[in-house]
Amino acid sequence: MRILVVEDDSLVASGLKQGLTQAGYTVDLAGSAEEAGQCLQGENFDLAIVDIGLPKADGLSFIRGLRSRGNTLPVLVLSARGSMEDTVSGLDVGADDYLAKPFRLPELIARIRALIRRSHAVADACLRHDGLMLDTRSRTATLRGQSVELTNREWAILEILLLASPSVVSKERLAQSLAGWDKDITPNAVEVHVSRLRGKLAAGQIEIRTVRGIGYRIDAARR
Amino acid sequence: MKPSRFSALGLRQRLLLAILLPMTAVFAISVVFDYRLAKATADAAFDQSLADAVLDISSHIQAGSDELSLELSSEAEAMLRTDSSDKIYFAVRDGNGHLLAGDSALPFPAVRPLDQPQFHDLQFRGGWTRAAVHQVDSASGTITIAVAETLTKRNRASRRILVAMILPSLALIVATLLAVYFGVRRGLAPLDAVEREIASRSPRDLHEFDANAVSRELRPILARLNGLFGMLREASAAQQRFLADAAHQLRTPLAGLQTQLDLASAEGRFADDEDRLARIQEATDRIGHLIDQLLLYARAEPATVATQAFEPVHLDRLAENSATIFLDRALGKGIDLGYEIAPATAWGIPWMLREALANLIDNAICYTPAGGTITVRSLAKGEQARLEVEDDGPGIPLDERQRVFERFYRIPGSPGEGCGLGLSIVREIAEIHGASLEVDSPETGGLCISLCFATKAATP
Repeated sequence: MRILVVEDDSLVASGLKQGLTQAGYTVDLAGSAEEAGQCLQGENFDLAIVDIGLPKADGLSFIRGLRSRGNTLPVLVLSARGSMEDTVSGLDVGADDYLAKPFRLPELIARIRALIRRSHAVADACLRHDGLMLDTRSRTATLRGQSVELTNREWAILEILLLASPSVVSKERLAQSLAGWDKDITPNAVEVHVSRLRGKLAAGQIEIRTVRGIGYRIDAARR
Repeated sequence: MKPSRFSALGLRQRLLLAILLPMTAVFAISVVFDYRLAKATADAAFDQSLADAVLDISSHIQAGSDELSLELSSEAEAMLRTDSSDKIYFAVRDGNGHLLAGDSALPFPAVRPLDQPQFHDLQFRGGWTRAAVHQVDSASGTITIAVAETLTKRNRASRRILVAMILPSLALIVATLLAVYFGVRRGLAPLDAVEREIASRSPRDLHEFDANAVSRELRPILARLNGLFGMLREASAAQQRFLADAAHQLRTPLAGLQTQLDLASAEGRFADDEDRLARIQEATDRIGHLIDQLLLYARAEPATVATQAFEPVHLDRLAENSATIFLDRALGKGIDLGYEIAPATAWGIPWMLREALANLIDNAICYTPAGGTITVRSLAKGEQARLEVEDDGPGIPLDERQRVFERFYRIPGSPGEGCGLGLSIVREIAEIHGASLEVDSPETGGLCISLCFATKAATP
């Protein structure tokens, strides 16, 4: 896996390179949007980490340029501004995730893993998470190599939760996604499907966590 | 400018006063002069008829060889005394003052010998009279003739003249007053329009007025006002730029430090001194938290917020989105973070309301012990939209409830790594939104802080 880090501060950049290399990624460093543009030509990356506060052209306009050229490279934005307002504008221009400085390396690596998993799910139609694999083309699920039988509704719920992880998904949203099979499915019916799913996944490390009053979440992958 | 009593009056009153006072004075003076002139003319005519009566009497005087006699028939006397409205008195005396004819009591003023009768105001029988007095020389000495009449017809004439002069003047004054009043009102209408526009603005609305849309006299004022708005906008923008720069300059080295710390820890550099690593990590976290709070506090200052627009904010979505952000921290402390979400919409600045809620949840996680429960609520109650964060932690004693919203105040002896800014930021944000902050103790113990937005008054 190859990651492009676009960061002008050498202390942060070198720390990132060291940390990500230790986590098993190949890391290229770029100190400006221009340099990053050159790196991207002719080279293939799995993900870019972009600092918003770059000299000259800032990170947001770099991402905007990337998306306007049709590049779908997953982008994680780093920002020193740290307010949620910037999160929104960062995600609006086409970033996939957002982390405020100062950040913890383990959290950054967990986010990178989730982003790459999501982009690969689109590319090879497979969702992987802590020993669980969903092959969306053959619609087969395996847990630690063992096949798991899932109903259509269970499959849909699991797929949404995995794609959103580690974000919380509301019962309403899950109910809406099931409306294709059941016109009048209630949030309570979602609970039934989730409890069956929990039973089927009991053998693995995957836990579907209940968030009281909202819905469910699958914790970030540990590996 | 030193305010005088005059300048305290409205422009409208000042204009009306400035026009009406001199105008009324001019009218009053002109009425006085006209009245006096007209009265003098009328009096002269009445005097002339008195003089005629005197001459008429003198024609009846016949001078004998040694004594004077007045041949006045009773018809002639009746003619003389006949008048439709006034009483007429007369007296004729010789040079020694002996009454020859007429009313003996009629006083005789001293007169100089002249060809023409002279006129006097005399008091007679309890009232004022006008008298014509004339001296006639005859062979047997000087004869003085006086004819007096009461003032009834003169007074009636005066009153008529006065009414005839004053009524049109009064009508003119009233007409002018009305014309000036409505004229001034119309003339000042643009001023009212500008006043209404300024009054209807929200405190954050700093866009410029269209100076060309108003009358020429108002343009300089609006231009100055626009200049002031421009300066405020620039100051607000400069403040926001400064804060963005400060945030970048402070957080980037801290991010470097944190990364190095994580690397050193992952490489096992602190394997024999985990306690030291924990202390360095705690200090780093606190610096990071303090920077966040200070910058947020500065960003929520009214001067910085001045240019930001209000919009409808869905409190239910705000609450739902906070779950993903705080779930891991709550789980890490063994706290059950839950939600009770009902649709509620407030009018506000979205990022500020997010930060206010984040601070309330952060505060609750900070002070709720492991195994505790935190519930975040959004609800619409009557004409209020509410955001509530309830915990079953130690709560806040009654006498500390106001102080916890003060800047840098922490309840003495309270645990955790709080910097004492979180709740003061919430209060600042509440004030900007005209929202009230309620602090309650739920029946189960603990603390419930509510942000209450008025939904009726909030819509512009």
